Amino acid sequence: MKQRQALPYTFILPTFVVLAILAFVPTIYAVIISLQDRTLSAPGADFVWFKNYLQLFGDRRFLNALWVSLKWEVITVTATMAVAIVLGILMFDATGPRMRNTLTLIFLIPVLLPRVCAAFVWKFAFHPLYGLVTYPYRALTGKTLDLLADPNAAIFAIAFVDVWQWGFFFAVIILKLLEALPPQPLEAARLDHAKGWQIHYFVSLPMLRTALISLVFVKMIESLRSFDLVYVMTRGGPGVSTETLDMYAFSQGFIESGKISYASSMAVIMMIVTLVGFTLLWKKVK
Amino acid sequence: MKTKFAGLAASTAIALIFACTNNAFAQSPICADTVHVLAQPRDGLTLLEDYRDEFKQLSGADFQIDYLNEGDRRSKSQADASTIGKYNVYYVDEGNLPLFASSGWLVPLMDHYPAAYDYADFDAGRQQTATYDGKIWFAPVLGGGDIMVYRKDLLDAAGIAPPATLDELKAAVEKLNDPAKGIYGIALRGKRGSGDNVWRWMTYFKGMGGEWFKDGKPAFNSQAAVDATNTYLDLFKYSAPGTQTGSWDEATGAFLSGQVAIIIESAPLAGMTIDPAVSQVTDKVAFLPPPAPLTGGGFAHGFAIGSKANPDKASQDCAGLFVAWSTSKENEARRLAKGQSGELNRSSIFASVEFAKTFGDALPAALAATASHTAVNFWQDARWPELGNQWGIELEELIAGTRTDVKGSLDELNAFATNLVAQ
Amino acid sequence: MGRTVSRIVLWLMAALVLGPVVWTIINAFKLNVDLLTPTPKLFFNPIIDNVTYVLGRPSVLQGLINSLVICISSVAIGVVFGLPTAYAVARYPNRWTEEIQFFVLSLRFMPPVAVAIPLMLIWLGIGLYDSQIALIITYSLLTISITVWLAIPGFQRVPKEIEEAARVDGYDAYAVFFRVALPVAMRTLLGALAFSFVLVWNEFLMALMLTTSSAKTLPIVASEMSQLGMNVPWGILNAAVVLLSLPPLLLLGLLSGFMNSIFSNKSR
Repeated sequence: MKQRQALPYTFILPTFVVLAILAFVPTIYAVIISLQDRTLSAPGADFVWFKNYLQLFGDRRFLNALWVSLKWEVITVTATMAVAIVLGILMFDATGPRMRNTLTLIFLIPVLLPRVCAAFVWKFAFHPLYGLVTYPYRALTGKTLDLLADPNAAIFAIAFVDVWQWGFFFAVIILKLLEALPPQPLEAARLDHAKGWQIHYFVSLPMLRTALISLVFVKMIESLRSFDLVYVMTRGGPGVSTETLDMYAFSQGFIESGKISYASSMAVIMMIVTLVGFTLLWKKVK
Repeated sequence: MKTKFAGLAASTAIALIFACTNNAFAQSPICADTVHVLAQPRDGLTLLEDYRDEFKQLSGADFQIDYLNEGDRRSKSQADASTIGKYNVYYVDEGNLPLFASSGWLVPLMDHYPAAYDYADFDAGRQQTATYDGKIWFAPVLGGGDIMVYRKDLLDAAGIAPPATLDELKAAVEKLNDPAKGIYGIALRGKRGSGDNVWRWMTYFKGMGGEWFKDGKPAFNSQAAVDATNTYLDLFKYSAPGTQTGSWDEATGAFLSGQVAIIIESAPLAGMTIDPAVSQVTDKVAFLPPPAPLTGGGFAHGFAIGSKANPDKASQDCAGLFVAWSTSKENEARRLAKGQSGELNRSSIFASVEFAKTFGDALPAALAATASHTAVNFWQDARWPELGNQWGIELEELIAGTRTDVKGSLDELNAFATNLVAQ
Repeated sequence: MGRTVSRIVLWLMAALVLGPVVWTIINAFKLNVDLLTPTPKLFFNPIIDNVTYVLGRPSVLQGLINSLVICISSVAIGVVFGLPTAYAVARYPNRWTEEIQFFVLSLRFMPPVAVAIPLMLIWLGIGLYDSQIALIITYSLLTISITVWLAIPGFQRVPKEIEEAARVDGYDAYAVFFRVALPVAMRTLLGALAFSFVLVWNEFLMALMLTTSSAKTLPIVASEMSQLGMNVPWGILNAAVVLLSLPPLLLLGLLSGFMNSIFSNKSR
C-alpha cells in the first residue's frame, strides 16, 4: 500500500524537475538578455533595462507584426475548423467503411509532411510562371497570377498551406469523434425527419462542444508556429505584409542586424501574451 | 575531352611530385588538422571535392566544406565568427568584408598565400573588391560587374536598337512588354536585402549621381535618390511576375525560360544564358554593357582566413594554402572544362584558348567591356548590411504598393542612418 | 443524390492532398528545363540525377544521421520521463494532476523563438552549440511534454480490472506499471511515440538557430538546397523534399492506428 502512495511521486517528481529546468532556465535567460544590448557582432553586453521594450512600441514593424500575427491566428483557426467540420461530417454521412479508411489515411498525409516541405511544394505550385495552381489562370486569361507577391493575398496563400496541413487532420479527428458518439440521439432525430445538416447542427455538434473547443484551443497554439511556412514562402514579404512576430524577431536577431537583445525582448512579449492569454482561455473553457 | 584528360594527367603528375618531395625530404605536412570551411553552395566548390586527394597530398590534411545559402551564410558566419569561430576559412563577400575585417575575425591573406599561386593573376576589379583598409583579405571564388543580356529576336522583330542609355532602356522595355504573349520588358529584383533589391537599385542611385554621405552626413533623401527610386519603380511595372518578391533567382529564371526581353544582372548570368542545361534561349541572346549612366555593381565573393580557429602561424599557413589551392589556375581550368562560366576570376583563364572555344567571342568581349562600367556602389562600412537591409524593406514595400511616399521613405531611411552613424 | 455529391467533394479533396505530393515526386525526376516551363509538363525525359545528387551529398548523409540520432534519442528521453508520469496522472488522480497536466500543456504555449535565442547563447557559452547533445536536450522538453499528453488517454484505456487482477496476483505497484499497464497500452503508446518522433523530425526553427554545420538536421539541409539568392535547382529541391518526407510517411500506418484507438469508445 505504501508503494502505491509513493508511486505518483517517483513517477512525477523527476519529470517535473527536468521539465522545469528545461523550461525555466531559457525563459529566465531570455528575460535577462532582453534587458541588455547584446548583438551578434560584439561579444560583450551591458544592461539597458527597458530600453528595448520602449523602443518596440515606437517600431512600426513590431506593431505591424502584432497585427499580422493576430490576423494569422484568426484566419487559420477559423478556416481549419470550418474545413474540418465540413469534411468530417461529409465523411461520416456519405462514406462506407472502405472509402472512410482510405480517406483517413490520405487526409493524415499533409500534417505529417515537414512544414518546410509543404511550404516548398506549395511555393512552387503558386509560382506565377511555372506553378501548377496558377496554370489554369494563365491558360485561360493569358495573364499571370502572383499570389505570394500580392500584399493582400499573400497571407491567405500561406494560410492555405497551413489549413491544408491541419484542416484534413482535424477532419479525421472530427470523424472519429462522430463515430464515438452514442448512436441513439442521432437515430431519434432521424426518426423525427430531421434533415442531414439539421441533425448535425442541432444534435451531434452540440454533443461535441467540449471536444471542438479543445480542438480550437490546440489549433490556436499550433498556429503560433507559423515560422517555417513564412520563412520559406515569403520571408515576411511583400514588404511587411506577412511578417509575423516570430519572423520579425528572427529577422532582427539573425538576418538583418544581429540585434539579439532586441529580438529577445520581442520574444518575451510574445511569450507573456500567449502564456497569459492561453491560461485565461483554458481556465475559462474548463 | 582531350584537354580535360590532359589537365587531369597534369594535376595527377603535380600531385605525385608533391607527394614524392614530401616523402623524400620527410617534411612535416603543412596542415595538421582538417580544414573547416564555411561556404555557399557553388558548382565550382562542389567540383573541388572531387580533387580531395590532391589537397591531402599537398597539405597533409583533408578539408570539409559546410554549405549555407546566401542569407544564412551571412548571418551564421557572423554568429560563428563573433563567438566560437570554429571555421578555418570563411566565405566572405563585398558586403560583409568590412565587418569581418574591422572586427578582427580575419587574418590578412597575403602573408599566408603561397606566391606560386600568383594572386596578381586575378581580375583587377575583384582584387580591388577583396581589398579593405589597404590589405587584401580574400581570394575570389566568383565576381564581376553587371551585364545587359537582351533577346536579339524580340528586339529585331520590334525594330528596336539595343538600348545604350537609360531613356532608351525605358522606352524599349515599355514597348517590348507584351504580357498577352508571355513576354515582359525586364526582370528586376524586388526582394528585400542589401544584396537583393537594394543591390540592383544602387546602380540607378549611383548612376544618377547619388551619394551615401555628403560631408559625413547621410544624404539618402537627395533628389538623385528620389529619381532613382521612381525610375526603379517605373521599370518595375514591366518586370516579370515573381520578381516583385524575388531576387537573382526569380529574375534570371524568368529570363532563362524565355519570358523577358532585356535584363541587367550580375555578370555570371551571361554564361548561363548560353548553357542549354539551364537556358531555353541559348541562340537568341546578345550581350552589352549596362546602359549609361548605370554603374555596374562590382561584386566578389571569396575565401578568407579565419582568425579564431587559426591562432598560430602554422594553422594560418594551412588555411592560406587551402584558399590558394581552391582558387588556383588549375581549379579554375577545371571549372572552365565543366562549362561553369560564372565562377572564373583569373585573367589567364579569360585569355585562354579554352575559354574562347567554350564561350565563343561575344561573351568574352562583352565581359571585358563591362569592366569599365563597374564600380563600388555600396557603402564600404561594417554597418552597411544593417543600413542596406533597412532600405531593402522599405523598397520592397514601395514595390508591393503598401507604401507610396518615396520621399517620405527616404527621409525615414535618412533618419535611421543618422541614428546608426551616431551610435 | 446528396451522397454522390458528397463523395465527389471528398475525392476532390483527396486529390488536393495527393496531387501536390505526386507532382513533387514527378518533379524530382525533371531537369530545370522541363520544370521551368509556362505549361506544366507531364511528359518528359526522366532523369535520376537529382536523386543521386541528393543522396550523394555528404551533407545529406550527415543530416540524415543527425536527424535520426537526435530524434531517436529525444524520443527515448521522452519515453523514460514521459510514460511513467502519464501513467501516474492517469491512474493516481489527485488535486495536483490537473495542474500538472496544465503545466505540461503550457510548455507548448512558449513561442519557439523565445526559447531558441537564450538557448543559443547558453549552448555557445558552454561550448555545446551546434552539437547533437544540445539539440537532444532542447528537444527533450518537446518530447517529454507531448509524450505525457498523448500517453495519458492510452493508459486510461487500460481496463482497470486487469490491473486489479495483477495486484491480487501479488504484483506491486511498479510491477503493475511495467508488466501489465505498459504492455497492454503498447499499441496506443507506439502511436504517441510516432507523433513525438514526427514532431521532432519536422522541427525547423530551433534547429536553424542552434546549428551551423556538425549537428544540422535534415530539414535544414533540405532548405539549404534552395540556395536562396542564387539559382534554385528546383529538381534537386524536389528530390530533397521527397527524401525528407519519407520517414514521417512511413509512420502513417502507426499514426492512423493511434487515432483509431484513442478516439474509439470501445474500452473505458
